[in-house]
Amino acid sequence: MIGALAWRNIWRQPIRTSLSMVGMAFTSMLLVFMLSFQFGSYDTMKSSMLKISDGYGQFQAEGYKDDPEISKVIPNADALIADLKNVPGITASSARTNGFVLLANGERSFAAAIVGIDPEHETKISTLSSLVKQGRALTPEDSGAIVLGDGLARNLRLKLGDPVTMLGSGMDGSVAADVLTLVGIFKSNVPEIDRQIAQMPLERFKESFLMEDAVNIVAVTGDKLYDVERVEPQLRKIAAKHSVVFLNWAELQPAVKQAIAFDLSTAMLMYITLVVVVVFIILNTLYMSVLERTREFGVLLAVGMKPGQIGRMVWMEMVFLSFVGNGIGVALGIALTAYFESVGIAFEGLDEIYAQWGLPSRFYPDMTPFRVLAGPGAIVASIAVLGVIPYRRALGLEPVSAMAA
Amino acid sequence: MTPAASRRSVLSGLLAVTATAGLSTMIPAPAQAQDARGILKAAFDNWRASSSHAVLEMTIKRASSTRRMTLESWTQGEDRALVRFTAPARDAGNATLQLKNSTYVFNPKLNQVIKLPASAMMQSWMGSDFSYEDLSRSEKVVDDYTHKLIGTKTIGGKKVHVIESVPKPKVPVVWGKQVLSVRSDGVLHSIEYYDQLGKRVRIMTADKISILGGRPYPTVMTMKTDAKPGQYTRVTTKSAEFNISVPSYLFTRSNLENPRD
Repeated sequence: MIGALAWRNIWRQPIRTSLSMVGMAFTSMLLVFMLSFQFGSYDTMKSSMLKISDGYGQFQAEGYKDDPEISKVIPNADALIADLKNVPGITASSARTNGFVLLANGERSFAAAIVGIDPEHETKISTLSSLVKQGRALTPEDSGAIVLGDGLARNLRLKLGDPVTMLGSGMDGSVAADVLTLVGIFKSNVPEIDRQIAQMPLERFKESFLMEDAVNIVAVTGDKLYDVERVEPQLRKIAAKHSVVFLNWAELQPAVKQAIAFDLSTAMLMYITLVVVVVFIILNTLYMSVLERTREFGVLLAVGMKPGQIGRMVWMEMVFLSFVGNGIGVALGIALTAYFESVGIAFEGLDEIYAQWGLPSRFYPDMTPFRVLAGPGAIVASIAVLGVIPYRRALGLEPVSAMAA
Repeated sequence: MTPAASRRSVLSGLLAVTATAGLSTMIPAPAQAQDARGILKAAFDNWRASSSHAVLEMTIKRASSTRRMTLESWTQGEDRALVRFTAPARDAGNATLQLKNSTYVFNPKLNQVIKLPASAMMQSWMGSDFSYEDLSRSEKVVDDYTHKLIGTKTIGGKKVHVIESVPKPKVPVVWGKQVLSVRSDGVLHSIEYYDQLGKRVRIMTADKISILGGRPYPTVMTMKTDAKPGQYTRVTTKSAEFNISVPSYLFTRSNLENPRD
């Protein structure tokens, strides 16, 4: 009954109502798009950085991250990987070993980080093998093969098929040496990776570096970063069971997390300003209309309506208005975002800068219920809360003086 | 002595060991009011010989294991040193050659000599707490640093000078500061290495000073990295001869690859 009255009341002034709605709809639409785009870009940043080599999460021996010594190992990686098979959302896991070595070609030698990989599973986690521009990526059949970053291969003046001499320290500190054949050269466009990283088959690495069954890292991945984040408590439990630690994406890439946090905090200021301005403009309009209708409320009181009912009616008018306005906004926002989800947004001229971070030059918004509803929800909720002001105004009315107003 | 003559790093000092008894009598005991640089120079001079041949044992203590290796070293002049590992079998045959400013390593499995790039000089030498940088003579503490005597103390009944050495401006060095303790008889007692922020990174101490070649000499020295408690590398000089004639061909790449002995 009161709801029906409130609904009819907001359409007594169709132009004013429409203007308010358009204002809210436009703001909501913007918020839906901007939040989806901003968080979508963050997702792209995170996942492209992580996909190059880290993976969405890693198991390591405690203290390995800060001081990556080859002797800090996961003793039984097979058992750990077997446990990960039962975790929902984890689509692949792969063991790795890491060594710091000298790679040499005759007189020329360079320091490099060599990663022992399991080619079968690694391709599901790291995009490096898909970035092989010359030759081929490692395959499960490989033994004495090596894949180098483009910069490293250039510095060493190596071409496909050349022997590469490797000299490093094994797990017990003794000299680890091997001669491998260059089968592929990758180019990620991230200079640090292209100049420093080499890959060789895990089993050969273990032999050369006397690792036995131990590995340094077990990297995991899922369809989306969120899928891995959701099962983090479970992953930490598995890590504890095997006396190792689990590192989430933020622990693997703390700089990216900080950059995102900083960017988000400045963006948040803007969003909050937008919501506050819109809410107060709408509230002002509605409060004015309540003041104008004092006489009408006096009549309603005189015919037997209780002040509380009038208050609720006024409050519901505001809530209806904001629901309809924001509803339209959400619909428009979804439509706009969906369009850009399909075409993406390119930042012309920034391609090279982004490439250094392993980022694509085109970004896509990505909608989730939170990203769509957070902005409009904040507007509706603020109006519902601040609607107490006109509500209280209605409570204080007294029929005779109100009708005289 | 030329300034270059005092350019001797810690480990090559260890390898080169000290002057002969004959030479030692010619080096006057450090005077009381000696300046810091003079004390250091005397200490490094005491470590020096025109040539040497020594047998050393290196013990590398790690959390889970202890490795013991024996090695043989030859030095000649200021800028030539050869180290060859002789035991255990796993490590035997590995060798490092220091020739002027270049460092070469030989690995028997590869049967190949690799010249170390500058970027690898800070890497661990044979898995020890020493780096190739320590092995090379680039750590020219006497000439590249300015020295200040910051105190004297008495250790084991011997007077010890404590000297703070700060790198001269524009000299490319690894350390922010070194604090060296030198006994009044010219034996190096300890070296503390500090980073650029003034935090101590590691310390090398003389654990045993014996008479070798007729003079006091640190026969057991230990290097410890502060961030890695419980780990250390200890070098013990088993035997040494000094100022002997060492054939020049020892310090060549071809000898590194195909030892003639």
